[in-house]
Amino acid sequence: MNNTAIIFAKRNLKLKSVNAKKFALWLFIVSICMLFAGLTSAYIVKKSDGRWLEFEMPDMFLYSTLVLILSSITMHWTYSKAKDNSLKAVKIGITGTAIIALAFFYMQYLAWIELVAEDVFFVGNPSGSFVYVFSGLHLAHLIGGLVFLLVIFLDTINYKVHSKNMLTIEMCTTYWHFLGVLWIYLYLFLVMNN
Amino acid sequence: MSITDIQITEKLTHGDDHHDDHQEQSFIFKYIFSTDHKTIAKQFLITGIFWAILGGGLSVLFRLQLGFPDMDMGFLQPFLGDWISNSGKLDPEFYLAMITMHGTIMVFFVLTAGLSGTFSNYLIPLQLGARDMASGFMNLLSYWFFFLSSIIMFISMFLSTGPASGGWTIYPPLSALPQAMSGSGMGMTLWLVSMVFFIASTLLGGINYITTVINLRTEGMTFRRMPLTIWAFFITAVLGLLSFPVLVACVLLLVFDRSFGTSFYLSEIFIGGEALPNLGGSPILFQHLFWFLGHPEVYIVILPALGITSEVISTNSRKPIFGYTAMIGSILAIAFLSFIVWAHHMFITGMNPFLGSIFMFLTLIIAIPSAVKAFNYITTLWKGNLVFTPAMLFSIGLVSFFISGGLTGLFLGNAAIDINLHDTYFVVAHFHLVMGSAAFFGLLAGVYHWFPKMFGRMMDEKLGYIHFWLTFVGVYLVFFPLHYIGIAGFPRRYYSFTNFDAFSSFVDLNSFVTVAAFITFGAQFIFLFNFFYNIFKGKKAPINPWNSNTLEWTTPRVPEHGNWPGEIPKVYRWPYDYSKPGAKDDFIPQTIPYHKTEESNTDFENEEGKKERFDN
Amino acid sequence: MLNVIIIIAAILILVILFAIFRVSSLVDVIKGDSSNKIPSSNGLQANLLLLFLIIGLIGGFYYSFGGLEEDFVLPVASKHGVITDNLFWWTMAITGIVFIVTQIFLFGFSWKYQHRENQVAYFYPHNNKLEMVWTIIPAIVLAALVFTGWKAWIDITRESPEGSEVIEIMGYQYAWSVRYPGADNVLGNYDYLKIDATNQMGIDFSDRASFDDFIPREIHVPKGKPVRFNIRARDVIHSVYQPHFRLQMNAVPGMPTQFWFEPTKTTEEMRVETGNPDFQYELVCNKICGQGHFAMRYIIVVDELEDYNEWFKSQEPWLKQNADYLTEVPEKLREVASITVGIENEVWSNVQKGLTNSSSK
Ligand code: HEM
Ligand SMILES: [Cu+2]
Ligand SMILES: [Cu+2]
Repeated sequence: MNNTAIIFAKRNLKLKSVNAKKFALWLFIVSICMLFAGLTSAYIVKKSDGRWLEFEMPDMFLYSTLVLILSSITMHWTYSKAKDNSLKAVKIGITGTAIIALAFFYMQYLAWIELVAEDVFFVGNPSGSFVYVFSGLHLAHLIGGLVFLLVIFLDTINYKVHSKNMLTIEMCTTYWHFLGVLWIYLYLFLVMNN
Repeated sequence: MSITDIQITEKLTHGDDHHDDHQEQSFIFKYIFSTDHKTIAKQFLITGIFWAILGGGLSVLFRLQLGFPDMDMGFLQPFLGDWISNSGKLDPEFYLAMITMHGTIMVFFVLTAGLSGTFSNYLIPLQLGARDMASGFMNLLSYWFFFLSSIIMFISMFLSTGPASGGWTIYPPLSALPQAMSGSGMGMTLWLVSMVFFIASTLLGGINYITTVINLRTEGMTFRRMPLTIWAFFITAVLGLLSFPVLVACVLLLVFDRSFGTSFYLSEIFIGGEALPNLGGSPILFQHLFWFLGHPEVYIVILPALGITSEVISTNSRKPIFGYTAMIGSILAIAFLSFIVWAHHMFITGMNPFLGSIFMFLTLIIAIPSAVKAFNYITTLWKGNLVFTPAMLFSIGLVSFFISGGLTGLFLGNAAIDINLHDTYFVVAHFHLVMGSAAFFGLLAGVYHWFPKMFGRMMDEKLGYIHFWLTFVGVYLVFFPLHYIGIAGFPRRYYSFTNFDAFSSFVDLNSFVTVAAFITFGAQFIFLFNFFYNIFKGKKAPINPWNSNTLEWTTPRVPEHGNWPGEIPKVYRWPYDYSKPGAKDDFIPQTIPYHKTEESNTDFENEEGKKERFDN
Repeated sequence: MLNVIIIIAAILILVILFAIFRVSSLVDVIKGDSSNKIPSSNGLQANLLLLFLIIGLIGGFYYSFGGLEEDFVLPVASKHGVITDNLFWWTMAITGIVFIVTQIFLFGFSWKYQHRENQVAYFYPHNNKLEMVWTIIPAIVLAALVFTGWKAWIDITRESPEGSEVIEIMGYQYAWSVRYPGADNVLGNYDYLKIDATNQMGIDFSDRASFDDFIPREIHVPKGKPVRFNIRARDVIHSVYQPHFRLQMNAVPGMPTQFWFEPTKTTEEMRVETGNPDFQYELVCNKICGQGHFAMRYIIVVDELEDYNEWFKSQEPWLKQNADYLTEVPEKLREVASITVGIENEVWSNVQKGLTNSSSK
C-alpha cells in the first residue's frame, strides 16, 4: 500500500552514538572553520576589487608554522603517553607543548614586527590588515587551546587523565591539531595569494 | 571568539555533572539558573515576549509618524523626552533609531531567540525522548548570553545619542562613522557588543541542539521517524552554526574599522568637513558578508515556524502530513540553497551584472522547495477532519502569509524587476508577510499548541479565536496595502513623504495602515492576558489534549526535570499515524508497537511487529 | 477630547472582552465539556475562514483594479522601463493566478473538511506523482521567468552605447551634486582629497578635461538619447532612484557605479499625461543615509534634444564661476584653462596677484 510506512518501519536500531562532548567539539570546530572561511572569502573578494597592496610575507611565518607543527607532534606524543598511563611523561608533554606554543606566540609577534618594518601596518591597506586579523584571530583561538592544556594539566595532577579516561585529553589533542591545520591553511592561503 | 573557546573548555571539563542532582534545588537554581531545558525554553519565551511587545510598540510609534505625519506628538514627550521636538514632532534621527531597533529586535531577539530558543529547547528532548539537552550547562549559558545581549541592547536605547540607527542591516560607512549619524557612536558600539553575545548564545544553543538530535534520540527514534518539528529545528541549528560565524567575521572587521582605524569597509570618504585617511576598503564587502548570514538567517527564522506548523496541521487535520519525505527534502534543499542566494539583496549595488544573473537564477530556484512546502500543507488539509484549535488557525494563517509573501519574492528575485522595487515598501510587504508575520504566527501556533504541556493548564479558546481573527485580518490589512505603495515607488526608511510630489499620494492609505497596525498590536494584549492569566488560573490540562502522536504527550501533566518519571519510552513508528485505516482511534502514538495494532498494519508493518515481539 | 474618547473606548473594549471571557469560561464549566476535544465553535471558525477568503478576494480585486483613489502604477518614462514593466505584469499575472488558486484551496479545504462527527480523515501520506508534478511545473514556470528576466537584465546592465550623454551624480549627506562634461564631452578627474566647502565634488583641475565641466542646479537630460549616469558618493552609501524611469543604482563611496537609460517623455509631455501642471521628475535617495535621507530631492528635467543642447551650451563652466581654483591648475596649463573657460583677463590677473601674495608670505 504505501511504501513510506515501509521505509519508516526500518528496524529500530540501537542508536550508535559518538560521545556527545566530542561531537560538540567538532561542531565548534566547524563554526570556527566558517569564521575563517568567511574571512578568507572576504580577502579574495576584496583583492579582486583592486586597490590592493602587494608585499612580501615575513619569513618568520614559515618558521612559526614549523614550530606549530612541532607542538602538534609533542601534543600527539603526550596523548600516546596518556594511553600508556605514564602520567609523568604526560605532564612533561603538556608543559613542553605549552612552551612551544608560547614560542609560537612570540614568533608571530616577530613576524608582525617584520611586517611593520616592511611598512605594512594593521591600520592601512586591507591587504595588510587581513594578515594581522588572520594571525591575531588564530592566536586568540590558541589562547583557548592553552587554557585547555592547563585544564588537562590540572586533571593529570589529580590523576584524572589515564588510559581509562582519555576523553578530555583526546578532545584537547583534536582541538590542538585543528589549530595547527587552521594555521597551515591560513599561511598557505596568504602565501599563495601574495 | 576566544571567549567561547574558554566556555567550551569549561563546559567540556565539568559539563553535565549538574544533571541528576535536581531533588532539592533552591528557587534560584530551579527557575533562574536552571539547566532544565523546559525552564530554559520558558525563559526564552518570556524574554521573547518582552521583546515582541517592545518591538511591536516601536512599530506602532513609527507607524503613527507615517500614518499621521502632521500629528502633534507632544503627548509622548514624557516618555521620549528630547526625541520629540517642542513643536511636537518626532526627531527624524530617532525615527531611524526606532526602525533599526524594531528590525533588530524582531529578527534576532524575537524570531530567532524567542522562536528557536523556545521551541528547539522545549521540544527537542521531549519529542526525541531525551531526559534533557546534551549539555544543560551549555544551554544555561546560551540563555544567559542571550539575556546579557538583551540587556546591552536595551541599555543602548537609553543613550543620549540614541541606539544604532542605520537600519538592522547596519551598512557601513553609515554605521561605521559617528560623524554620519549620532546613533553610529556609542549606540552602534553597544549594538555590536550585544550582537557578539547574541551570536555566542545562538552558537552554544545550536551546537547543543545538533548534538542532542544526533546523540540522544530514544530507542527506535530513527531519523525517518523524527517529527518534522525536530527536522526543522535541527536544520535551523545547522544553518545557524554555518552562518553566524560569518556574521562574526563581518562584525569583527566592522569593529576594527570603527575602533582601530582599519579600512576594510571604508575608502575615499569625505565627511563632516574632512577627508578620512581610509583607502582601499569596500562597503560592498560588508554587504556580501552580512547577507551571507542574512539570507540563511531569514530561513533560520521561518524553518522552525514551518516545523511547528507541520506538526499542528497534521495533528488537527487528523491526517498524516502529506509528503513527509518531500518535506524533509525541501527543508534540506532550502537550507542548502539559502547559502548561495545572498547577493539577491545586492542587485543594484553595482556588482558585476554577470554575478547578478547567477544569483537571480539561484534565487528563483529556492522558490521551488518553498512552493512544495506550501502545496504539501494544502494537501494535508484535503480530505482531513479539521479541528480548528487556535493553534490550527494560526498555522493556516501562516501558510496563507507564506504563500502571499513568497510569491512577491518572485518579483524581487528577478533582478530586472528588482531595479525598481529594491528598498521600496514592496520589499517591506514581502518580508513582513513571508518572514515576519509567518514566523510570528508559527510562534503563536506553537504557544497555543504546547501551552498545556509547558504549564499543565489550558489557554482559553475563545480569547484565542478573538486574538487570531484580529491579528490575522489586521496583518493583512497592514501589509497588503504596502504592496501598492511599494509599486508606486515609495522608499522604505523614510521619515516622511511630504518632500516629494511623487509620494504625495496614498495619504489615506497610510493612515489606514496605521490604524490597522494599532488594532493588530492591541489584539496582542488579549493574548498576553490569556497567556499569563492561564499559567496560574487555567483549566488543568489533560495529558494529551489534542490526541497527538508525539512523545511529549506521554510525559506527566507537568514533567519534572528528566521528563519521564520511569523509563524513557521506546518509539516504534513515525509520528503521523493519524486516521490510519482499520485503527480503532484516529491516532496511534509513536510508542505503540506494531504488534499491538495488527488491525491497521500493512504487511510490512506486521513483519516488523513480529520482530518486535522477538526483540522483547 | 479625542484622547479621552479613545481611552474610554479602549477601556470599554477591555471590559467587554473580559466579560466574554468570564461568561465563556463559566459556560464551559456548566457544560463540563472537558472530554470533548472538538472546539464548540469549530463550524463557526470554518465559516469565518471561508468568509475571509471571499471578502479578501473581493477586496483585493476591488483595490487592485481601480478602487484606490490614486493609481499605484507610475507612468513609465524610459525605454528599458517598458520592458521591466512588462516583466512585472507578466510576473503579476502568473503569481496572481497562483495566489488566488492556492488561497482558494487553502481556505476552501479548511471550510469543506471541517470536523464532522462521522467523518474520517483520508490516510494519504504521499503521492510521488503529484509531488513530481508540482515540483516540475513551478520549475518550468520559474525557468521562463528567469530567462526573460535575465535577458532584460543583461540588456539593461550592458555598457552604455557610444555617444551617450555622460553625467556624473554624487550623493552626500543630504543632497546631490551633478557634473556635466562641458564642451569637450569628457568628465575631468576627481579626487576626494580635493573636496572643500566650495569644490564640493572634489574636481581635480590638474586634468585638462575638468576645465569646462559645469555643475548645474538641476539635471537636464535629452529625450530619445541614451544617458549615462556615473554615480558615486562622498560619505555614506546613497542610492540614485527615479521611479518613473525605473532606474536605481547605489552610490557607494570609493566605488563608482553607473546606470544608463533612455528617457522617452519630456517633462512637458509628462505634465500633459499626468494632468499635473507642476509635474517634475524627482531624483530620490533610496538607501538609508542618515537623518536627512527622506529629503534628498533633486529635479531632473527631460528636454527635447534641441532644448537640451541649447541649455547645455548656456551653462558656465564651474571653473569660470570659481576662478580662484585656477590656482589648482598646474602652472603651464593655467593660460589654456583661462582661455577655454573664458575667464576674463582682469579676473585672471587678480587671481595671479593673490597667488604671488600668498607665495611671498
Ligand atoms: C520564494 C522565495 C523567495 C524569494 C525568491 C525571495 C527573494 C527576495 C529578494 C530578491 C529580496 C531582496 C529584495 C530587495 O531588497 O530588493 C528579498 C528580501 C527579503 N526577503 Fe525574501 N525571498 C523569498 C522568500 C523569503 C523567505 C521565506 C523569507 C523569510 C523567511 C524572506 C525574507 C526576506 C527578508 C527579511 C528580506 C528583506 C531584507 C531587508 O532588506 O531588510 N524571503 N527576498
Ligand atoms: Cu534573501
Ligand atoms: Cu539616503
